Amino acid sequence: MDLKERVCDELQKEVPKGASSTNFNTQHQQKWEDPSSTLDYSTRIEPPFQAFNQTCQTQSLLLCNNQIKVPMQDGSINDLLQQASKIQDWDPSAMLNNLSFLEQKIHQLQDLVYLIIAQKGQVLGRPDELLVQQQQLVTADLTSIIIQLISTAGSLLSSVKQTLSAATTSLGQCGEFGGVVFPSSAQRLNDGVQPQNAGGSKVSEPPNSIDITSNNGNEQNNHIVEEHELKDEEDAEEGENLLPGTYEILQLEKEEILAPHTHFCTICGKGFKRDANLRMHMRGHGDKYKTPGALAKPTKESSSEPTIIKRYSCPYAGCKRNKDHKKFQPLKTILCVKNHYKRTHCDKSYICSRCNTKKFSVIADLKTHEKHCGKDKWLCSCGTTFSRKDKLFGHITLFQGHTPAIPSDEIKVAPAGTSDGATNKVGSVNFNLSSYVSSESEVQSSSMDIKGGIDDAVGYFSPLSFDTCNFGGFHEFPRPPFDDSESSFAFLLSRSCNYSQKSGEE
Amino acid sequence: MLSFQSSKNVLSLAEDLLFRIYELLAAESDRKSFRLVCREFRRIDSLTRRHLRVIRIEFLPILLRKYPRLQSLDLSACPRIDDGVVSLLLTRVGRGSNSPSLGHWAWGLKSLVLSRATGLRFSGLEMLTRACPCLESVDVSYCCGFGDREAAALSSAVGLRELNMDKCLQLTDVGLAKIAVGCSKLEKLSLKWCMEITDLGIDLLCKKCVDLKYLDVSYLKVTNESLHSIASLLKLEVLGLMACPLIDDVGLQFIERGCPSLKVIDVSRCEGVSSSGLIYVVRGHRNLLELNAGYCLSELSTALLHQMKNLNHLEVIRIDGARISETSFQVISANCKSLVEIGLSKCVGVTNMGIMRLVSACINLRVLNLTCCHSITDTAISAIAYSCRSLVCLKVESCNMITEKGLCQLGSFCLLLEEIDLTDCCGVNDKGLEYLSRCSELSCLKLGLCTNISNKGLSYIGSNCLKIHELDLYRCTGIGDDGLEALSNGCKKLRKLNLSYCNAVSDRGLAYIGRLEELSDLEMRALHKITGVGLEAVAVGCKKLADLDMKHCEKVGDSGFWALAYYSKNLRQINLSYCGISDMALCMVMGNLSRLQEAKLVHLSNSTVEGVELALRACCARIKKVKLFAPLRFMLSSEILEILHARGCIIRWD
Repeated sequence: MDLKERVCDELQKEVPKGASSTNFNTQHQQKWEDPSSTLDYSTRIEPPFQAFNQTCQTQSLLLCNNQIKVPMQDGSINDLLQQASKIQDWDPSAMLNNLSFLEQKIHQLQDLVYLIIAQKGQVLGRPDELLVQQQQLVTADLTSIIIQLISTAGSLLSSVKQTLSAATTSLGQCGEFGGVVFPSSAQRLNDGVQPQNAGGSKVSEPPNSIDITSNNGNEQNNHIVEEHELKDEEDAEEGENLLPGTYEILQLEKEEILAPHTHFCTICGKGFKRDANLRMHMRGHGDKYKTPGALAKPTKESSSEPTIIKRYSCPYAGCKRNKDHKKFQPLKTILCVKNHYKRTHCDKSYICSRCNTKKFSVIADLKTHEKHCGKDKWLCSCGTTFSRKDKLFGHITLFQGHTPAIPSDEIKVAPAGTSDGATNKVGSVNFNLSSYVSSESEVQSSSMDIKGGIDDAVGYFSPLSFDTCNFGGFHEFPRPPFDDSESSFAFLLSRSCNYSQKSGEE
Repeated sequence: MLSFQSSKNVLSLAEDLLFRIYELLAAESDRKSFRLVCREFRRIDSLTRRHLRVIRIEFLPILLRKYPRLQSLDLSACPRIDDGVVSLLLTRVGRGSNSPSLGHWAWGLKSLVLSRATGLRFSGLEMLTRACPCLESVDVSYCCGFGDREAAALSSAVGLRELNMDKCLQLTDVGLAKIAVGCSKLEKLSLKWCMEITDLGIDLLCKKCVDLKYLDVSYLKVTNESLHSIASLLKLEVLGLMACPLIDDVGLQFIERGCPSLKVIDVSRCEGVSSSGLIYVVRGHRNLLELNAGYCLSELSTALLHQMKNLNHLEVIRIDGARISETSFQVISANCKSLVEIGLSKCVGVTNMGIMRLVSACINLRVLNLTCCHSITDTAISAIAYSCRSLVCLKVESCNMITEKGLCQLGSFCLLLEEIDLTDCCGVNDKGLEYLSRCSELSCLKLGLCTNISNKGLSYIGSNCLKIHELDLYRCTGIGDDGLEALSNGCKKLRKLNLSYCNAVSDRGLAYIGRLEELSDLEMRALHKITGVGLEAVAVGCKKLADLDMKHCEKVGDSGFWALAYYSKNLRQINLSYCGISDMALCMVMGNLSRLQEAKLVHLSNSTVEGVELALRACCARIKKVKLFAPLRFMLSSEILEILHARGCIIRWD
């Protein structure tokens, strides 16, 4: 938690820096790819569904806006390149590759759009699925272009950041990038994924989600951020920055937070976790609760008139989520309060039954963990792990140069099987062939030398030199019938000795 | 050496002229003679040689030192290539003993054949790929131990264009992903029998290696998803999908819309594919050159036939096992005029009339497979012979109604005929062989189960078909020693001979066989008359003998086996089952034949358990496959079994 909060701090510090601060997040592509996972979470925390949909729309809208700019940004990127080319640990050829890839991609897209235009001219009366598909295709392509572009620039920026901090100001000059800020590091930690520097090859890791947040607390932007942070509602406020006093602070007591139910039936007293369930329950108490009005979501009505935004405070004194804290960060919903309180200030009483090490205080967290605990870990060369093979392969498809990592325990198995035990044995029963065969002085000497260097080189070597008789060696079938009589007789002799030896062993 | 002084002979030629002369020598034997002339010629040879196929590992270090400009190295016939050998070759072998040139031989290497190198693991492969920066083609087929780790080692060969990983049983998607990411220039990839590969791996491959021109995923458990990925390969020309049980017509629909460069497709033995799937393929690819749909069609439907009308460039079609009507032949011959090969093996409904219609227009036909088309008679053969003058290969196994009349037509018109399979055609007799022997280009002749032929017939072949290199006389009981004499006088190029169950053959016959110096493959099961004398004659004479099957030759005594152990240094496979070989001779054979890789040793009446054990010990370092009598499993010491197992040797218990 400490770490998480620290990162939050950093983020907060960064955001006010203004439009010029550019923050690249590379790690949370999973969420982007997998809408199902976000949905999972959303059922748990009752998010504003409407807002969610909205964000999707607005986001795609935003994407489109951005994409139109993309071709124009090329120039500024080139400027950027020139500036950054002074920095050594940046690979211009890779950059060039990326850029030419982009160019190609844009041309392809252009062709496609031309095609669409042409088709529109031909079949006007048929605005069917084809067009929709094409649009989707365009959108997908544009997204990938943006991703590529940003990853390209991102590689640059990271190297710039590492080497000289002064460079940030120069980067600020390219205004186009100023607006592109990524909801960042806090999520990275939430994912449970290792921080960026574990990757090693940041250059080719484009971020998968693109959000635009600016400082002025625009509602739309906030929604976008929310969409990505549904996973951990505690941090939902990260990009919010509501000014103190513009919202109402509520603080529940500890008992209230830990109570299993929050909604109670006024008639029979039964408790429920969700209001919707209570409303369903109420139907049993008479027809008056069955009217559409009684069954409707109560918040609907209030949303029509402007209300004061409610935020929550944690009752635990000294907690950053407590309203008395200097850098107070409010919690957004009651559920956030509950999860926060349990996770941070309660014992972790739920232990994973599989690994017996992981502990959780929120049962949903345990369930999430148990889904993946003990399963094969699919590991990428960049250090990212995946619970599913297809996710890993999707990741590898997306990022150039990434490969699946082979678990290290296999390393031990292979050589042990082949060389150590076995060949030693082979060497021991090899009839001491090397003792009489080799007339090749060089070969012999090498076998001597190698003893030190390579594991049981003799074991390998003796059969190799077996038969190296005194031929010039440049015929392939040089063996005239009687030429090797000596050696084969010698072989017989030596072998017969060995036979007796071995029978002695057995 | 005198010749150097007089400046008017071939030895005084300038070096570049000698190089030119050398380059014109096509046959390996000629080159061998060339390099034996003198040191200078040998130097020319060593500087010019690009390809090397090593048969005996003990010469490998010398050969590598001798040929510094090798581009292609074939180690598939070497008995034991493993990590230790590789490390030795790379660290110790070079020109001279100076360290900088050690491993120099690997620098220019472009092609490496490591097929069946079961002992090679990732560390060896890693060393090899590191040492060979120019590597473009690697063959690791049938390396049973080849897995992901080995694939990872290989993936550092970034310039790789061709890779054959057939039957790398341990390979999974992870290894394939390594290859796909590392070797993105791949153009040719074969993954037959890599049973662990799934759609995910194929999908990644198709996304990373967009230059693929050849892809073989035969026998894999991949589904239509893979075809969806494969369809995105713009340059793909050859696609092998043989016996993929999970692929069906829906998947082929993807192929219809994708793979714009597709030329060759093989969907034979795909259970899920029907003619509608093939219709998709044919509809999408008008320029198809080869369509292989054996054993997946129940019938050549009219709808498919209708689509095939558009395949004007089609050269090869195989529809083995399908039902076909006479009118279909008409359609094919009318539209697919450029057909070169047609496979109708085991097709139902192939009649004389059908064949006559087919060949009426397809006059360029070179290969025709009519195996088990039982209703074919001389009429059809005559029509074929008359129309298809450039016929090269004809397979009419078990077409019983073919007689000397048909062969007469073939002998009169098809003078380019190189291969004919007459197995189980009991209508073939000596007269027929006389006609057939007019095809002087004949190189492969299969006469198995033709009981009506005798020594006389064989003598026609022996005197006229001098280019024969493969002859199958399985159960030709009419053949005796005299026939073999005629054969050995004429067919000096014979490489492969099957004499199994030709009961009349005796030691005298084998002595004639011993005159065939090129013979590498001899099967002579159950020749009850032969003894050690005959075997000795073969062993002494046939120096290139690599594969010998003498199951049930019970009368052969130890003297024969001793000779075998002594002379047949190139022997690679041997079947001694049911032979009366003694312990000592067995040990000799197994221990002394340093190239031996595969042995079948079942029911050895005169051998003891100790004898077999010692024999196995004598060869355990290089043997790759051995078949043993099942009860021996518990009688042999566990030590030897462990050693064999550790060396990658496969034991089959019978």
